[in-house]
Amino acid sequence: MRIRNTTQVWGSAAKSLHWLMALGIVGAMTLGLVMVNLPMSALKFELYAIHKSLGMTLLVLAALRISWRWMNPVPALPDSVPPHEQRLAGWAHRVFYVLLFAMPISGYVINSAANFPLNVFGVVQVPNLVPESERITDAATWVHGSLFWLFAGLIVVHVAGALRHHFIFKDGILRRMLPTRSSKET
Amino acid sequence: MRFLPTLSFLVAMPALAGNPWNIDLPESRLAFEATQQGGQFEGEFEQFSADMQFSAEQLGDSHFNVRIDVTSIQTGSSQRDRELPKQDWFAMDEFTEARFETTEIREATDNVNYAYAAEGTLTIKGHSEPVVLPFDWQISDSGQARMQGELVIDRTTFGIGEGDWEDPSAVGHDVRVLVDVQLNPAD
Repeated sequence: MRIRNTTQVWGSAAKSLHWLMALGIVGAMTLGLVMVNLPMSALKFELYAIHKSLGMTLLVLAALRISWRWMNPVPALPDSVPPHEQRLAGWAHRVFYVLLFAMPISGYVINSAANFPLNVFGVVQVPNLVPESERITDAATWVHGSLFWLFAGLIVVHVAGALRHHFIFKDGILRRMLPTRSSKET
Repeated sequence: MRFLPTLSFLVAMPALAGNPWNIDLPESRLAFEATQQGGQFEGEFEQFSADMQFSAEQLGDSHFNVRIDVTSIQTGSSQRDRELPKQDWFAMDEFTEARFETTEIREATDNVNYAYAAEGTLTIKGHSEPVVLPFDWQISDSGQARMQGELVIDRTTFGIGEGDWEDPSAVGHDVRVLVDVQLNPAD
């Protein structure tokens, strides 16, 4: 298994980060959707705690991921993809990277402005970013909620695009992100 | 010389009643430390009053009777503070006052950090439990007193956080109460 990317293929580190974060993001988004609709209770509290811990973990992974991307070549899309679609894909991925940071940071601001303690999975105590303020809480909540729908929409487009390439164009783009068996590797 | 017995009676009066003190509220703090989702936060009761009788020489005549306005609770988070008046927490519709009344004030022979111990009854939300408050009592050159003490209570003993909220992972059971009170001798 190749760890680093080449101009042709994704390395195992980039693939692992992609799927690990995909799992975490879908988990955090599902939790978020469920927990905000629960009445105030200890269960709601518990779900918030997991959601926040997951979010802070994803923030760290996002920093790792963008650093790794800068340190590695990005595999080029095949020529069969028309230039305007390549540009579109490029922009979609840029927005994804912005969201990878904007989602957890806006959530972190909500928690800070509410002056709630933040303890990541009961292991790391994280300090608050901003002073207690209901106005900041409300503004950050609006941002976090709006970005949620942008994120959800973009994930749908991303998955639909990957499946379109796999089943309609059969150009191997989806398979590039899947784990490869070492025997098959060239 | 004829009125000397009368005078000495007047001087002796405060000693008979113990030494009374008045709390200087702006200089005093009745705070607590608790945990939420494993993280610590601090809060305080901004309004409280007390009948305080204390003399290191006459511990037997010393006595505290503290009344705390529960509705003056402040934890630095408006979201959290909105929950506290509710039925599961302090039930402030029904219980607005907490009390601490001592039954005995003695030397804290069992505590190396504090000189004295106030044994008494703490009443919160209608639940009365015996507690011991270890404390120090220091007199300044200007004759003021400063009382500092702390004790850990289990919030569930007093029904603070009922039902679902008894789960300690959401809000920890142990609450550290911190007393830091400035007092002036009462005339």
